[in-house]
Amino acid sequence: MSKERKQKQSGYFLKQKLAPWLLLALPLLFTLWLKYYPILKAVFISFFDYDPIHQPGRFVGFENYSTMFHSEYYWQAWRNSFVFLFLQLLMTFFIPIIQALFLNELRRMKSVVSTMYLLPTLIPTTINVIIWRWVWHPDYGVANQIVKLFGGQPQTWLSDPNLVKFCIIFPGVIGGGISVLLYLSAIQNVSPDIMESASLDGCTGWKRIWHITLPNIRYIIFIQLVIAVSSAMQLLDAPYMFASGGPSGSSTTQGIYIYNSFNKDYNYGRGSAASVILMLVVMVMTMIQMHFENAEQE
Amino acid sequence: MNKNKKGSTKIRLSSSDLSLQIVAIVITVCSLLLILFPFALTISNAMKDNVKIYDVPPKLIPDSAQSLSVAVDYSGFTGTDEELEAQLQDDMVSTMFGVYTVLPRESVFETKFYGTRDGKTIFYSRAHQTQLQLEKDYGIYEGTVLKKQTLLYKDRAQRVSQSLGYEFDPNGLSKHTAITNLEPNAQEKLNTVFEKKFALHGEIAACEMSTHNMLLLESFVHYMKLPNYMYDANARIARFGFMSFVGNTVIVIGWAIICQVFLCSLCGFVISRLLKPKAARITLLVFMGAQMIPFASIMLPQLIMYRNMGAYNNYTALLLPFLYPFGFYIYLFKGFFDRIPGSYFEAARLDGASNFFLYSRICMPLSHPIISLIALQTFLGNWNDFFWAWLVTERQDLWTLNVALYNISNNTSTKQNALMGIALVTILPVIAASLFFSKQLKASIMASGVKG
Repeated sequence: MSKERKQKQSGYFLKQKLAPWLLLALPLLFTLWLKYYPILKAVFISFFDYDPIHQPGRFVGFENYSTMFHSEYYWQAWRNSFVFLFLQLLMTFFIPIIQALFLNELRRMKSVVSTMYLLPTLIPTTINVIIWRWVWHPDYGVANQIVKLFGGQPQTWLSDPNLVKFCIIFPGVIGGGISVLLYLSAIQNVSPDIMESASLDGCTGWKRIWHITLPNIRYIIFIQLVIAVSSAMQLLDAPYMFASGGPSGSSTTQGIYIYNSFNKDYNYGRGSAASVILMLVVMVMTMIQMHFENAEQE
Repeated sequence: MNKNKKGSTKIRLSSSDLSLQIVAIVITVCSLLLILFPFALTISNAMKDNVKIYDVPPKLIPDSAQSLSVAVDYSGFTGTDEELEAQLQDDMVSTMFGVYTVLPRESVFETKFYGTRDGKTIFYSRAHQTQLQLEKDYGIYEGTVLKKQTLLYKDRAQRVSQSLGYEFDPNGLSKHTAITNLEPNAQEKLNTVFEKKFALHGEIAACEMSTHNMLLLESFVHYMKLPNYMYDANARIARFGFMSFVGNTVIVIGWAIICQVFLCSLCGFVISRLLKPKAARITLLVFMGAQMIPFASIMLPQLIMYRNMGAYNNYTALLLPFLYPFGFYIYLFKGFFDRIPGSYFEAARLDGASNFFLYSRICMPLSHPIISLIALQTFLGNWNDFFWAWLVTERQDLWTLNVALYNISNNTSTKQNALMGIALVTILPVIAASLFFSKQLKASIMASGVKG
């Protein structure tokens, strides 16, 4: 190689230096164009009273942000996001951990069971919504039958502002298959030496789970927690399909708020301002996640 | 490690271990039952007819399907063959829709109608209940109250009978022979139909009712025709129906897989093999950063940008978002290429191989496992895509499965059994494939380590 370099150094240098960037040029350009340009454009639009016909409209500075921060509806959307998050943590976050811990204790059928756990994650949200809207149906649904069985009052479920969030999150109870797999692989990766010495010391059964297994997978649990938080902030499809953000805005998340801003109110500036704030929040979440992922690797 | 543990636990199975085992089995069985619940609900609802789905409390096992055969005699008829055919069409439509309207709770999933004259079978037609339901909901009888006058108004009977299909030959049909026995039970039920409002031209010669549970499965064939009826104004959907949605989904996901495999492997190769470490780290960060931008944040500017370009309501709008490499897949490719021994590349380079040669002839042939992993990941990540496709498509023939299902489910005239049937048909191939490739699927998920 060194011989070649001496012979035609400048040509070789150019080729070696430039060639990789030539290969990267197209993918990089597309990334900048399709991803970075839109988010910069969102920042740009958020400073304007945007007019889609006479673009970009009137410059208004931070007015979009200040009116947005003073609107009750915007904060309701954030509150909803946090209630969604809280419900998710309460109902769906711990189930995969429990399933994985007990799945690991099974003597046989481990592989079959984990495949079964994966099946619900392959159902697209649209179909989940079709199925569960029928379950929550106030007149013909299974949910009210079960409530009646236990002597309760029939509910209107998706039309009830207090219950709608619960109804949207509940189907996720069985949708944790991917997390189960990740936890399971983490559990199986716990060093056999630790397990063996623990069992020699009489740390078996429940004690082993509590004192050895759980502490050893706490990093992945934490990372999953951060992912859950950041995905709860970005929740869009499920609440939209279940209830279109209603009734009376009680399932409106940030995504639906942005969508309504430009699609219902035609207020592109406010929609962009909300987009920018959401991006900042998600960015912080992702940084935390990356920080801990790096810490785990070290 | 597992084998070791098995051995040791067998020797000293403490009470704590035993209780743990029992709890583990109980919890797993409960979770599995919970997972099966939506599937059971979907199957059971898809197999009910559109009256029984509203039964309270809902039953899990659908009622068995009945097949009703009616033979009507026209021996005394004196007139031309055309007039006879018109009468038979009228009677066939009256019988089928009469039974459908007057006996909704009898689970008559199939009606067979025979016309006879002088001992010969001259007319045969059959219809599944779902076909009648489609005609009633979206077809010729859309928005009509079913009565004899409305059923036979103008040329309706002719159109419906042609749409359902029939065979007529005044000299006798060779393929079909009319039933001959007259079941009193079935006759009694039929009398309630014909006495009330659906009188026939001919005389009922024979009728019988029998149970055929395969008819429950036949419903699915007709559920699939629902889009053809629902969106019959759109030429492509009227012709291909449900398959046009499947086709769009295949186009979008196929394109996504091709783009991601090609772009990400190229970037991964360059970053792994050609760039200096610092440049490589920064480039990777640029790509990874792009993927962290949440969709909700850029949906509005992206929509404006695409609209200005004219990428709205066409395939460009659906396909363009996949034309940039996903940072995480580049990361996976880079990790894979890092592990290819450097001697491969040096040897080729000494022979004067170009960079593209290194990529296409050395890296790619070695990367079958990572390519299948990325393809699977792309499928899993985009199989659920909805919002963008929904935002940019107004034309029905552009809809992907998810968009189509959402729109069909939001249509108030869609019956729940048809909806569940379509949903089931949509997911069954994916479920079957994932059971078949479960090993690869799990390996792919574990390798990615992050939610798809």
